[in-house]
Amino acid sequence: MEFDLENPFENLHSDAVSYLFLIESDHTPSQNHSQTLKARDLDISVRRELISLISQLSCALDPVLSYLAINYLDRFLANQGILQPKPWVLRLIAVSCISLAVKMMRTEYPFTDVQALLNQSDGGIIFETQTIQRMEALILGALQWRMRSITPFSFVAFFIALMGLKDLPMGQVLKNRASEIIFKSQREIRLWGFKPSIIAASALLCASHELFPFQYPSFLKAISDSSYVNKESVEQCYKVIQDIAIEEEYSSALNGVSSSDTPINVLDHHFLSSESQKTNGITVANTIAVSSPLRDLKRRKITGCGCGGNNPTIHNSRIQFSHAKESEK
Amino acid sequence: MEMEKTGAGVAVLSAKEAFEKLEKVGEGTYGKVYRAREKATGKIVALKKTRLHEDQEGVPPTTLREVSILRMLSRDPHVVRLMDVKQGQNKEGKTVLYLVFEYMDTDLKKFIRSFRQTGQSIPPQTIKSLMYQLCKGIAFCHGHGILHRDLKPHNLLMDRKTMMLKIADLGLARAFTVPIKKYTHEILTLWYRAPEVLLGATHYSMAVDIWSVGCIFAELVTKQALFAGDSELQQLLHIFRLLGTPNEEVWPGVSKLKDWHEYPQWNPKSLSTAVPGLDELGLDLLSQMLEYEPSKRISAKKAMEHAYFNDLDKGHL
Repeated sequence: MEFDLENPFENLHSDAVSYLFLIESDHTPSQNHSQTLKARDLDISVRRELISLISQLSCALDPVLSYLAINYLDRFLANQGILQPKPWVLRLIAVSCISLAVKMMRTEYPFTDVQALLNQSDGGIIFETQTIQRMEALILGALQWRMRSITPFSFVAFFIALMGLKDLPMGQVLKNRASEIIFKSQREIRLWGFKPSIIAASALLCASHELFPFQYPSFLKAISDSSYVNKESVEQCYKVIQDIAIEEEYSSALNGVSSSDTPINVLDHHFLSSESQKTNGITVANTIAVSSPLRDLKRRKITGCGCGGNNPTIHNSRIQFSHAKESEK
Repeated sequence: MEMEKTGAGVAVLSAKEAFEKLEKVGEGTYGKVYRAREKATGKIVALKKTRLHEDQEGVPPTTLREVSILRMLSRDPHVVRLMDVKQGQNKEGKTVLYLVFEYMDTDLKKFIRSFRQTGQSIPPQTIKSLMYQLCKGIAFCHGHGILHRDLKPHNLLMDRKTMMLKIADLGLARAFTVPIKKYTHEILTLWYRAPEVLLGATHYSMAVDIWSVGCIFAELVTKQALFAGDSELQQLLHIFRLLGTPNEEVWPGVSKLKDWHEYPQWNPKSLSTAVPGLDELGLDLLSQMLEYEPSKRISAKKAMEHAYFNDLDKGHL
């Protein structure tokens, strides 16, 4: 039975949604662990490095794969942290999380090809199969074999139906934007401890506020009225996600990454126009970024990772890759 | 060496260290089953031991997917709870998986046999309660897109004191593909198998489980298997003798199934001849469970709403 992030069970029936809310805590780093992790700066930097590794190693695969692998990583870290943050150990953990994610997903890649891909990437470290298997066993034990992760993606369709947008084009637009937000926000340590359903609700509200501001109040009411959702948690989570989105836009503006003329980009442009009237520095920085030779260097690095195609999600992965590289400098 | 240090932080006991095996209580298709005590808590569990059929992949994807399903289903009161999974090695260094289930002291097969031996009938309200729990558990599984595909009294576990019933062996049929050679001594039970499966249908639906539920229902009433064939052909003939040989009229598409042949033509008999002692409402529910056409068979959820269960106190189920 293949695994799908949107349907941790296959053929999910509408009356099964309540069960997802019941058991989602089994698939989430707990609040206590979140606090514990935040108190350990070393682990935060280790997590950042591991996420970069996973994104780099799996950039040629489905981006959903790296999402699942990072979910496994977070739950593993929450369970026990990292005792020996040596480069080869981190790489082994990253490789093992990806390997487990590949096994869980419906995938057309022969396993040996995936394995060869993982071992051929930068770093030159090649692990014996048995070594990876032992690390996989460790991770499986720490995660208690709960590998059908319940993620925010599991709840998006439910909330869209709650907002009265099921089967409407508007719902699909919201879903796409919310998914984008969920992908990007996975890296953010501040979201640790929020349940997947809360993250899903908050991402949808951010997307609706951004794309359909006039309908936002009624969407907020529809979600707040749900007995499955804790309103205060959504408010807190919403603020974090909104902060992430704003930081993302500043970051994109400074890098001059966005160049396509899409509805979302039009909104970004409007935002930048408004901001540029307040802060001349941004305008200057933006100009420099556009004309800087650095931009070409970044392009070449992005191209070098081998991700091709026009898939918007893949494009997002490239942005993430770029950010990851910058954080390493 | 570094690997060992990394592992040292994990409080992982091997199955042998964590549990004391008390007795072997069964040997199923997928491996041996032990009654065991967890040393840390004193809790009695059922330990199901199975070899992993590894290749260079380590844990097979199918095992990973199916065990994960069991972990997700384990909060429903009518599914046997998979409490933990432990990976270890046997004497030959091969990887062994221990599935740690909650322990139930008996199963429906033993329960029925105990009544058969004393010559008593199972009380009607007991039958009704057990059937309701079975329908509820199956409705839960089907509601999550999970088929069982091997329902039989042996893997419906019971607690004698509380009369609670739980479904076991979910998904194990696919999680652990075992070479048939090793278990040739054990005949895979045909008695609860749906006719479309016997006729070679490749696309299973939830209806295959409902057929099994119907067979179990009848067996609770009569204490004998309803269709006790010892080969696939004999199994089909048993079914056709009672329900009539199917044709395109009662089951559109039946003659196109892969293993369809010409069969002796029997007319359907009344179910009451095979299941004396079941009241009219029960017979109606049973007949809907034993519909030939899979899409017309009653669903588990609808079965729970059937009038047969109206006078059952469902508060504690």
